[in-house]
Amino acid sequence: MKIDTLHRHEAGHEDKNPVLSWWAGGIGIGLVLIVAVGLVQPIGVSTQYVVLDGVLLHNVLPDVASRSSYLVKTAQGWTLATYEFFFVLGIPLGALVAAMATARFTTRIVPIEWRRRFGSNPGSRLVWSFVGGFLLLFGARFGGGCTSGHMISGISQLAISSFIFSAALFISGIITARVLYRDGGSRC
Amino acid sequence: MLMLALGLALGGAFGALLQLSGTSSHTKIVNALRLKDLTIMKLILMVIGVGLMGVHLLDLFGLANMKVKELYLLGIVIAGVIFGVGFALTGYCPGTALAACAEGKPDAWVTVTGGLCGALVFAFLFPEVEEHLLAVGRYGPVTIPGLVGIHGIWLAAPLGIVCVWLATRLPMSGGAR
Repeated sequence: MKIDTLHRHEAGHEDKNPVLSWWAGGIGIGLVLIVAVGLVQPIGVSTQYVVLDGVLLHNVLPDVASRSSYLVKTAQGWTLATYEFFFVLGIPLGALVAAMATARFTTRIVPIEWRRRFGSNPGSRLVWSFVGGFLLLFGARFGGGCTSGHMISGISQLAISSFIFSAALFISGIITARVLYRDGGSRC
Repeated sequence: MLMLALGLALGGAFGALLQLSGTSSHTKIVNALRLKDLTIMKLILMVIGVGLMGVHLLDLFGLANMKVKELYLLGIVIAGVIFGVGFALTGYCPGTALAACAEGKPDAWVTVTGGLCGALVFAFLFPEVEEHLLAVGRYGPVTIPGLVGIHGIWLAAPLGIVCVWLATRLPMSGGAR
């Protein structure tokens, strides 16, 4: 019973999460895309992980960085002073301002649904977060885009590759979530 | 300089919207994939609906800076499957992980670190991947209207309306338990 109250309390904390309704958020993000396409280019995030990798590696081991044609091509001129990188830099800054304005910071390591299924061990959550993050960016670079570049920008341009990538992503994500969290959550 | 400021402003708006609409929450994403809470699905449909109509309306007047990604059938499917597993494991995507970092979530910091490693490994594996997997079913940057041979607006307008309609019709919570 005590554990249940604890869960309820924390659930309350994460349920506070959406301040904006789905339609307001959706229209807002759609408008950001339209302005970006009108002024510069469609939005994208995952390429900048490669750019940051390239610039960091080039600072420490320039020879090694130059050996990868992919790094050389992506991190053009080994600089972070580009529109694309500053767009991605803006994401955490905007989120920081939003979280500050609505007092929604949290330093919880283990999210509720994860704890329901796998317990509250922070070590395992962090290890699997690393593995998951690795797969996310490996997959995104392999496919040439992520949720932003493929799903939002790509489908809005009716690009065939983006429809296929998004379908594969959702099917795989839904199956993985089914398998991963199958015993969790009996609140329905 | 102006471009950097513009990037920061647009990215900032994007990040704030991601945070405020709950997309940087592990719970929201995982329950969307479990089909228990469809709020995120409704949001994505709305984004795509608005995006489809807006982008192609700009394009009608020659004002859109399009950038279409290449199609390589086998590689795209494998990549999407790998991405999906990471999406369900972390509850974040590359963009929302950054927003979640700013909220102070330690697992998001680790996700971003893992992401930087994954991107680096891919960068060094790329010549191999390109030679063996990207060559299969490679068609270049194709779009549906390009293939059919009509202007995109004729498809984007009805499809956009369908997306917005679906977004409003979809229930908030799914039937799956």
